[in-house]
Formats: sequence, structure tokens, C-alpha cells
Amino acid sequence: MNIFDPQISFNEKAISAFRSQFENNPVYQRFCKALGIQKVKDYSDIPLLPIQAFKEKQIITAENPSEIDFDKLIYFQSSGTSGMQKSTHYLLDTDMYKKSVIAGMKHFYELDDYVIWAYTPGYSANPHSSLVWMLNVLIDGDKSGLSRFLPLNEALLQSELDEVISSGKKLMLFGAAFGLLDLLEISEVQIPSDSIVMETGGMKTHRREMTKTQLHQKLSDGYALPKTQIHSEYGMSELLSQAYSLGDEWFECVPWMTVSIRNPENPMETVENGTEGMIGVIDLANINSCSFILTGDKGVMGDNGRFKVLGRWSPQNLRGCNFLIDQD
Amino acid sequence: MHSMKSHISTVASATKEWLQPDNLVLKKAIEQTVDEGLFSFEDIKFQIRTLKQNIESGQIEEWANRAGLSETKNSFGSKVLCLHAGNLPLVGFQDALGTILSGADYFGKLSRKDPYLLQSFLKKLNEFRLENNIQYSTDFNQSAGIKADKVLFAGAESSIDTVKEIAISQNSVAEDVEWVMRSAKFSMAYISDESKQTMEDLVEAVFRYGGRGCRSVAVVVSPIRFGRLKCHFQDYVESFWLKNPQLNKPKEILAHQFAYNKAIEREQAWMNDFLIQETEEFPELDFTLHWVEGNEDKVRELANKYGSALQTVYTTGGTIEGVTTEYLSRAQTPDLWWKPDGMDVI
Repeated sequence: MNIFDPQISFNEKAISAFRSQFENNPVYQRFCKALGIQKVKDYSDIPLLPIQAFKEKQIITAENPSEIDFDKLIYFQSSGTSGMQKSTHYLLDTDMYKKSVIAGMKHFYELDDYVIWAYTPGYSANPHSSLVWMLNVLIDGDKSGLSRFLPLNEALLQSELDEVISSGKKLMLFGAAFGLLDLLEISEVQIPSDSIVMETGGMKTHRREMTKTQLHQKLSDGYALPKTQIHSEYGMSELLSQAYSLGDEWFECVPWMTVSIRNPENPMETVENGTEGMIGVIDLANINSCSFILTGDKGVMGDNGRFKVLGRWSPQNLRGCNFLIDQD
Repeated sequence: MHSMKSHISTVASATKEWLQPDNLVLKKAIEQTVDEGLFSFEDIKFQIRTLKQNIESGQIEEWANRAGLSETKNSFGSKVLCLHAGNLPLVGFQDALGTILSGADYFGKLSRKDPYLLQSFLKKLNEFRLENNIQYSTDFNQSAGIKADKVLFAGAESSIDTVKEIAISQNSVAEDVEWVMRSAKFSMAYISDESKQTMEDLVEAVFRYGGRGCRSVAVVVSPIRFGRLKCHFQDYVESFWLKNPQLNKPKEILAHQFAYNKAIEREQAWMNDFLIQETEEFPELDFTLHWVEGNEDKVRELANKYGSALQTVYTTGGTIEGVTTEYLSRAQTPDLWWKPDGMDVI
């Protein structure tokens, strides 16, 4: 089934993915069977596999998974400090990710109008980063030759910005939250006023503490762009699709992905809009791994399917003598 | 001059009287607690029996002695605000008794999850007209204006800022007041044999109070793989539950965790109201026991990893170099002077 086909409803595509993954993904099958769920009528009833499973098992959907030579597969790995167990996401079909990245960007932007600059480590230094891979796809897709990975710790040059301006294209500058701030500190030039700064997260691993609002304000002030031009991308190595926020803190999904906020005490339940919970994702681009993921992130759902990411989920009902006074 | 000797003696007498079987106020408090489904009768009985044994063996006097309380060293004149937890029956008893024994004026914010039992004790103390002032309420607002010199806070770290803000705004405390926080959440046991006594002690340490409380064991390290003694261990658990039915039931998240364990083929045992799983992950969920195959090195490694969230490491008698240990058999029956988070209440 073509996950990008707008003629087929999301529900139909999701149920088809569920059937396929239930049949051909041993990890997901065991999970669903243990929950007593083998058939669903609506995508909201599909169980979401905790994302940690990518750290513990090879998550793959294939008719004969035992015949797969995992050593030959492209894979994405989560970042993380040394000693931390990393998630590994194997890709049977890299074209699916390419299509998802391009179609996803095109859903929100006139991609051909943009030059992509990525202030991140390059592909050769980071071949297992899904973000770097995605940026590589976007950069390769720009025929102007102006898109590229920027060298780290080097200032932006006016001459290079002038080239972008004279090409008639607009600049989209990607970078991790604090990388973009670092770039500001070392650069003395002004990026064009129609640019978009795309922040790709990475706040949770950095030692500097700042809220998302504060960060976006700093980026807005520093790059002299209105906040409506400071955008964010929500993605992770376990997902092949991304959500984007276009100038505020609310993320929107691409049409083949949906987010729901789950009750932390019962992840099969969705909480009401406005209530905090765990972010659950259905990403149909994960057709060869697992499309149904319960992330470790905290979020809240707003109107029209838009959601806000509130950081990592931290369980509060920990055992011990500690009890919230306001929960009494 | 306050007479500390007389004060200690009065507190001890009052406490003994409170624990008498003919104390109708305590009896009613127990009935109300059970009727409202706050705690099981068996858990309350266990807690009260433990306190009674401690108090009848002279532990109030011994605690005062260990703390060096005297006519000159005491806390008369100071005010302590105790924000009590309510996850176990009488979990705030030690903080209340320690504060009052020290001579400090006590203001207790009682938990709505355990409002009757501790109140019955405080009422009894007030009948004895101690020199220090004893006030309590389940309503935090009632502490307005007391301007406490110290706060014992058994709430979650995430709520501290809000609580501080309210406490300061309503003058419950002075701005520069000392906050004594509790951060330990669970305990760990090292088990090197599977004798009947060890298994019974372990089951008590894990399953009493439904596994709640920072002294309860949430992680076991053992050279014995859980899979090997799974059935054996389950028999002991079932026998414990026959005498001590678990009052609280787990949320659906536990079934979800069970399914996840199945998915990743992790060794586990589902016991209806409790999940035992082979993992050394941080024990986040209620009603779970984590079993880790390992030796004393693993105990040291995990103690380091869990940090201040770990209350106590228990053994069946042996010592572990570099780690302070207690007897497993005393996990749920600690002395009055045991130190939560390593800190003497007095």
C-alpha cells in the first residue's frame, strides 16, 4: 500500500500496516499477543510499542526476518552519552526514508525555493544519524549546488550568503538547538530576512538549561528574524517521518504520521486535549520496522491535531516516601 | 529550664498509652482507615505491632539518648513544619515523634491518604499536655503564619518549588528556613541463598505495603538467576498474600510492561498484582520487583547508579565492602532511630 496516497484514508493505511507488522514483526507480534490484541477496527486501538524496544531488539518487519543479514543493512542509531545503550533502527528500504523526507518537507515548504545549510556534523562523520542522513538527502536534492553541510566552528561568510541571495532562493538553516546559538556567537553577518532557521532539538542532552520559548526568542533576536521564521523539527532515529512547528511551539505531522497523547498509567488510552501525557506516534514510513511507537517524550495535544513537546517523560509515581503534596 | 528527662518520659508514656489495645481512639482510627480503603488491616496491624515492640523495648528513651538530648541540648523554642507523606500507614510517625521528642513545636500537615492514624497519636500526646506545642491538619493553609524554623519535607522533588512558594507566601516558614528533603525511593537486597528464612524475609521486604515505601525492596541482586527459583519464590509470595492480601491493584501500565517484556523476551513472572522482571533498569513503576543476576560488584555498581534514590542495601548477614548494609529481616521493622536518607530525624 502506498502510504503517500492521499486517496486512501489514514485509518485504512494504518490498519494495513498493523496487519503486516503483526504478521511479520516477531517483536511487535509478541507485544500485541501479550496485550490480547490481534485485530483492530480503528487506528486509535493499535498498541504502541515502547521505544526502548529499539535498544533491546532488532525491530524489523519482513516475511523471513531470520534470513536478513543485519550487518549489511543501513541503520540509524540514537545519540547518547558513552555507556548508554543506543537505539538501532534498521532500514530495509532507504528509498522509503528519502521519499518520506522529501515529501514531508514539500508538505510544509516549497522545497525547491530553498537552499539547505546544515550546521551539524557531516554525513561522513555521522553516518548513523537519521538527522544527518535526512539533511544529506535534502542537500543532495538541491540541484543548485548551494546546499551543504557547514563546517563546524566556522563563521558564516557574507560572500556565501550573497551567493544564496543572488540565486533567487531562500535560506533554510538547520542546526541543533545550541549549535545554532554557537553559530550566532562566531558569525558577524546577517542572514537574509526571508530565511528560516530550523531548530532540530537536542536540548535535552546539552548542559545549558533553557526553555524552548527562551531558545526561540534568542534565535529570533540573534538572527534578526521574526519568531514566525524560527521553526522546529521533531524527529528521532526510530522514526522515518518528522513533524514540524512553523513559528510557534506546536508541531504538525505529515499526512502519513499521527501523534496522540497517551495516558502514562494506561498507554492504550488517549488523554484529553490539554492534558499532559506520553507522546505516541504512528509513522507509516516505518513500514519495515514498527510504525506504532510509544516515545519517552512528554507532550500535550492542542487543536487540529497539533501537539507540543514538553521534554522527556519523567515518571512521578515513583515508589518511596515521596508523594506529591498537591496529589493528596 | 525545660526538663528534658521528664519530657522524654512523658512522650514515652503517652506513646505507650496510645498503643494500648483498649485505646478506642486508635481503634476507631484503624476502622476508619480500613473502611475508607486507605490501607489494609493487615498492613496497619503490622505497622502498629512493629511500633509497639520498639516502644515497649525502650526505644524512645534510647533514641533520645543516642541523639544526645539533654537539658541543654534540645529544640525547645524552635518550630518544625512536617509535611508528611501518606504512602504507608503511619509513615509520618517517625518524623512526628522525633520532632516532638526533641522539644520543638510541631506543626504537621497530615496526608489525606493517612489522616486518622497519626492524628490519633497526636491527640494522645496533647492529652499529656507536653511543654511543646503540637498542631496538625490535613489542610496546608492551616500552617499559615507559623513561621517554622525548619521543614521536614516528604514530598516529591518536582513539587518542592510550588510547596516552597505557598509556604513562604502564607508565612508558614521564614524565607531562609532549612528544608530537609527526602529523596530515597526504594531499597535493594543482595541474596546469595534460597533458604526458607531468606525467601520469607525477602518476600516480606518486597511485598509488605504492596511494595511501597523507600525501605521496601525493589531491586534484588543475586548470583541465582530469577528463572531458576521462579516457581519456588512464587510459592512464598502466594503464602504471604494469603495472610496479607494486597489492597491496591496495579494500573494497566503493568500489563503493558508485561507485554513489553514478552516482546523483548525478558525473563519475568506475572503475579496478577505484581510484576517481577529481570532487568537492572531504574525501578520506576509501582508493583514491580527488578531481579538482577550478579555478585557483590554488581551491588556496588547499582548502588552507585541509583544514587540518592536508593535508601538501603540489605543482606542476610554478610557485609559488602564499600556499601553500608542492614539486615534484610529488619527491612520493614526498623528501629525508631533509623535514618531516612542517612539523616537522623532528631
